[in-house]
Amino acid sequence: MKAYTETLYDAYAQEFSVDKIYFENKTDHQHLIIFENAKFGRVMALDGIIQTTEADEFIYHEMLTHLPLMAHGNVKRVLIIGGGDGGMLREVCKHSSVEHITQVEIDDQVVEMCKEYLPNHSAGTYDDPRVHIVIDDGANFVHKCADKFDVIISDSTDPIGPGDVLFTATFYADCKKCLTDDGILVTQNGVAYMQLDEVTTTAKRLQPYFSDQSFYSAAVPTYIGGIMTFAWASNNPALRKVSTEKITQRFEAANFKTRYYNPAIHMASFALPQYILDALEFNA
Amino acid sequence: MNRITVEPTHKAEYYQQMVQQHGSPLLILDCEQIIKQFNTLSKALPNVKLFYAIKALPHPAAIQTLDTLGAGFDIATSGEIELLRAQSTHARQTIHTHPIKRDEDIRDALRFGCTTFVIDNVWELEKFINYRHRVGLLVRVSFPNPNTPIDLSRKFGCRENEVAILIQKAQSLGLHVKGLSFHAGSQCPDSKNHVYAINQCAKIIDDAYKNTGKLLSVLDIGGGFPVEYMQKTMDIETFCIPIREALKQLPEHIQIIAEPGRFLSAPAMKAVSSVMGKAKRGDNYWYYLDDGVYGSYSGQLFDHATYPLTIFSDINAKELAVIAGPTCDSIDVIAEEINIPPLSIGDIVVGHQMGAYTSATSTHFNLFDKARIIPVNTPDQVSENIVRIDKK
Repeated sequence: MKAYTETLYDAYAQEFSVDKIYFENKTDHQHLIIFENAKFGRVMALDGIIQTTEADEFIYHEMLTHLPLMAHGNVKRVLIIGGGDGGMLREVCKHSSVEHITQVEIDDQVVEMCKEYLPNHSAGTYDDPRVHIVIDDGANFVHKCADKFDVIISDSTDPIGPGDVLFTATFYADCKKCLTDDGILVTQNGVAYMQLDEVTTTAKRLQPYFSDQSFYSAAVPTYIGGIMTFAWASNNPALRKVSTEKITQRFEAANFKTRYYNPAIHMASFALPQYILDALEFNA
Repeated sequence: MNRITVEPTHKAEYYQQMVQQHGSPLLILDCEQIIKQFNTLSKALPNVKLFYAIKALPHPAAIQTLDTLGAGFDIATSGEIELLRAQSTHARQTIHTHPIKRDEDIRDALRFGCTTFVIDNVWELEKFINYRHRVGLLVRVSFPNPNTPIDLSRKFGCRENEVAILIQKAQSLGLHVKGLSFHAGSQCPDSKNHVYAINQCAKIIDDAYKNTGKLLSVLDIGGGFPVEYMQKTMDIETFCIPIREALKQLPEHIQIIAEPGRFLSAPAMKAVSSVMGKAKRGDNYWYYLDDGVYGSYSGQLFDHATYPLTIFSDINAKELAVIAGPTCDSIDVIAEEINIPPLSIGDIVVGHQMGAYTSATSTHFNLFDKARIIPVNTPDQVSENIVRIDKK
């Protein structure tokens, strides 16, 4: 039996048994692999780091989508940066209030490959008439973009690698420019226990541009090492404090099924453990 | 001076066939020799994990062969990483050992999945602050060795008394130093400097724990394992006995690793060149080969090596001769003041022990093509028994 060992940390690693390799590419200075694992289904890894698995992706995609969309309450336009696997698109498309979705992916081959090998991620939503796919560098796109969006979701890779520009102050400033007054930016921000520096660095870089900046969290099993944090940034502090009643009302009205997200999770996910709060305060 | 063996012409047949098939000049890479060297060194250094220093011979066949044997790999550049990636080698079996790196070098290595790095000074240490949660560091210590042709402790390595300071600084930055590394020299005539370095490192490891509670768990004893060029060298078993003894003093939890390059690759490659012209100048016959010191014989300049040569002749008479390379530069001379039977244009000259730091340092000077490397007895070939060389 073959095995795939993640190479994220020197002192700690998770290993997957590989039942079958569906796709492997080692050109273009990177190593991309999609394989079958008995516990997690199809697993996609880039450069030794797990990107997504069929079994636990719902946690990640639901949390990056429904938190900001439910908190806003009337989202019409959404911008997804990255997200070539289509999982974010699937979740955003569940919202009937949404009229327009732009997804910016740097590599069109990623989209095609994921449609073929991870079809359950996009679940056909690439064909949704509200969806507009742009092949461009995400940072470049927001820099030039003159449109406004109600929610921007940054579904990036690890900051060491092709996604590094999506963790810069310039990118955050450009995102602010592309947001409506009540707009919300959410970003993937790493596993806090393992990469606490990512939390403090992001906080520092977001604060100059947004009057309300914080994090929320969820544990995604294959992003090992504890809870993953998601950065939250907007200029309307009330959006982070919408009442349980209101969220419940909106969720019931939206009338779609989720597997991780629910109003109670929505409220609770903004609670941060003390070590994160201490690190943020120390670095403020 | 190069040792020159004269063999009867019928023994050139194999090389002639290879030249007919692949052209000249060639480097024939015999993967079975790599396997033999790996097994010999593994036996001489049991419980030492070997990381092949791929700079010696960065060739896919060498890497595949060592990969099947379970070797790790010692890399120093992003180019070497690209080579490993193409061979599917698992990144957790690699160590990045260049003491001086750019940020993009560190990022490339991390993206590949290599998380062990070597540092020897505080500026280098600070380059890892952004990656502190991901990496494990080895501190390279300098143990100068005046008895080797290449002293690898001049350009790199901190002094013994600086290790504690670096460890302390690392801890204050949230970085993990997991062990020490050293290079006793290249092509060492004996293992005295290895033993000295191991003894000193054992003290440093002990002191670190006693004084600060810092647990070090890796000792990288580098390379320097000799192969025979012109002079008789110590056999590897004899060379390693004192090293094995010295390693016994280390606590059991210490993982010992080594970075052999030359030892694994040098005997695995032979250079096959052809005489492309001759001249009589004064008392000397000059033979111009299609490969020289700007090509496969570059190790005679850069690596201070002199390679044993074989020529093929059935004539007993010998004449004073010079064997030169093909370029327009007069430094391009492989052997001079030699007495050999007369050679003809088209004759073959074979260079031995030419696997390490030969093609790796060859140039394109004069825009001469580099010698093609022809791997034989590769792991899959051996199983199919396609090409066998040197059947005597």
